[in-house]
Amino acid sequence: MSIMEYNGGSVIAMVGKDCVAIASDLRLGNQALGISSNFQKIFPVTDRIYLGLPGLATDVTTLRETFRYRVNMYTIKEEREIEPETFAHLVSSTLYERRFGPYFIEPVMAGLSRSATGGFKPFIAATDLIGCLNFAKDFVVAGTASSKLYGVAEGLWEPDLDPEQLFETISQTMLNAVDRDAYSGWGVVVHVIEKDKVTTRTLKGRMD
Amino acid sequence: MAAAAVYSNPGFDFSNLTRNNFLAEKGIPLPKATSTGTTIVGCIFEDGIILGADTRATEGPIVADKNCEKIHYITESIRCCGAGTAADTEFVTNLISSNMELHGLTHGRKPRVVTAMTMLKQYLFRYQGHVGAALVLGGVDSTGPNLFTIAPHGSTDKLPYVTMGSGSLAAMAVFESYWRPNMSRADALQLVKDAISAGIFNDLGSGSNVDACIITANHTEMLRNVEMPNERVQKERSYVFRKGTTAWKKEDIKKLVLSEEVTPISGEAMDTD
Amino acid sequence: METSFALTGKGYVIVASDTTAARSIVKMKTDEDKIKVVSPHLLMSYSGEPGDTIQFSEYVERNLRLFHIRNNYSLRPSAAASWIRRSLAQSLRSRKPYSVNLMLSGYDVTEEKPHLYWIDYLGTMTEVPFGAHGYGSYFALSLLDRYHDPEATLEEGLATLQRCIEEVAKRLVVSPGKYKVKVVDKDGAREIEL
Repeated sequence: MSIMEYNGGSVIAMVGKDCVAIASDLRLGNQALGISSNFQKIFPVTDRIYLGLPGLATDVTTLRETFRYRVNMYTIKEEREIEPETFAHLVSSTLYERRFGPYFIEPVMAGLSRSATGGFKPFIAATDLIGCLNFAKDFVVAGTASSKLYGVAEGLWEPDLDPEQLFETISQTMLNAVDRDAYSGWGVVVHVIEKDKVTTRTLKGRMD
Repeated sequence: MAAAAVYSNPGFDFSNLTRNNFLAEKGIPLPKATSTGTTIVGCIFEDGIILGADTRATEGPIVADKNCEKIHYITESIRCCGAGTAADTEFVTNLISSNMELHGLTHGRKPRVVTAMTMLKQYLFRYQGHVGAALVLGGVDSTGPNLFTIAPHGSTDKLPYVTMGSGSLAAMAVFESYWRPNMSRADALQLVKDAISAGIFNDLGSGSNVDACIITANHTEMLRNVEMPNERVQKERSYVFRKGTTAWKKEDIKKLVLSEEVTPISGEAMDTD
Repeated sequence: METSFALTGKGYVIVASDTTAARSIVKMKTDEDKIKVVSPHLLMSYSGEPGDTIQFSEYVERNLRLFHIRNNYSLRPSAAASWIRRSLAQSLRSRKPYSVNLMLSGYDVTEEKPHLYWIDYLGTMTEVPFGAHGYGSYFALSLLDRYHDPEATLEEGLATLQRCIEEVAKRLVVSPGKYKVKVVDKDGAREIEL
């Protein structure tokens, strides 16, 4: 029994055409015993950056507080919003600082970064528990269902999905992967980030 | 606890150690980080150095990244391939790259490969192998082409051709058979490609594509994905779901501000004197 | 074995905690109050390492009181829960962490809503409609899944609670004998005789 499986939970992020999506399950458990079916693991960082924190639940809350503080300080000092690439490095160095006493979290980020011409570019990234960054061009996964998510996402994802298609693809990936994981599930929440709006939907899923 | 600062103190923070040991005492094994089961190589040729690497990152038996970059920038004419704990290779090369830039600025001349090698080995030795980076360092400086390997405990080798990582045996077999002194650029590049390919196809920890980097006295050429022997074929059909496949219980749409315009409503300019 | 339950209803939270203080296999006391009124509209039920529970709950109580004295208003349940969680998470990084599991029940007088937070010794926190700690939780949670109603009146809520207590008494080998029940609503916190 690894500490990463103590509370359960999984997160996935996917790239679409001019949009990104990030989804997580809603379970909080104490090993096999379910405690809550409304434990949010994805948090908004700015309007267009969302951060998923699957792993040990105490560290989910602690890191959420740490990042909120650091991003607020960045915003005040720089007098601008943080960009997704910069935020990814903030996450990475925050975790690597604790290389020899890590937080048990594997963060996943999704957002839209502003390009020089004023447009928006999809961005996703994930790190391991000591902050090794993985900038993928398709999808990133983490949590207790990660091995299943890799498989389903590899089969279902394709390039240039529009927001509605991306919602269906990420939702089906998540729903089907967590059904094969005992420690994830109990509801799924999906955020689709577009340049002019963020759509958050709570899915109907199995509750066993 | 001191408040977490935006720019925190340099060095590692060990404050979670007591907690994690406490958790480990309760019989819960601590998890492993992403490590690059890897093939990385380097060889000297007639006018410089060629470094090579595969592009697979693994987490245990899972391929975490199919196309990662393992040839790290140190200076314009020095590069470093990393194997071992992925985060360590990333951060240690970044740190040394930064220190090399400062070193160059302080002394007003281009820092040498041995300087980078010494910085790396001293850093790794200090952490007694706990910073798990196995490196192949190569570059050209005022003394000519230089090629080193640096093991996680801080020991180094200086050789005309080197390999590291879990695919090092497969790659070394190729080097031992075909490497000759003073090879031409084209022959050396082909040799590096063959050595990495041997790792990709014979070692489970290595895979995907070949990256190479050719460093000569006045030019560095980074050949990202110079060979892609494992490209995924076009999917036979599309798996896009029909709209409305997924049932949802609740929807919340947050509208975002796309652009804003400031319209002054008072004609008078503010007196700022 | 130590057991506690809590559930929310229409404008209230009820908390029940067993009253045994045990050392090894011996019951030392059967009228121990393990639900502390930490501020006028906040109840904290706790279980865990005997010394730690008292120390920690008094530490919480006094800090919430200090906040009230300094600022002339009380922390709302969400803020109090957040502070308590952080205290536990920080304690976990010390040489000798507090081994205390707790549930924080409160009535937010500003928002006029009841809140219940489930917190464990690791600093795991989540807001729940109902919760339980200890061996009794394995029975109580499944019962509450079936019978809990967030719109129930206090009488209905107490009936559901009674069901949980009876189930645990019936099925748990090491079931506790007596329970203390407290409720918090717009009028503050008070004890209830079942």
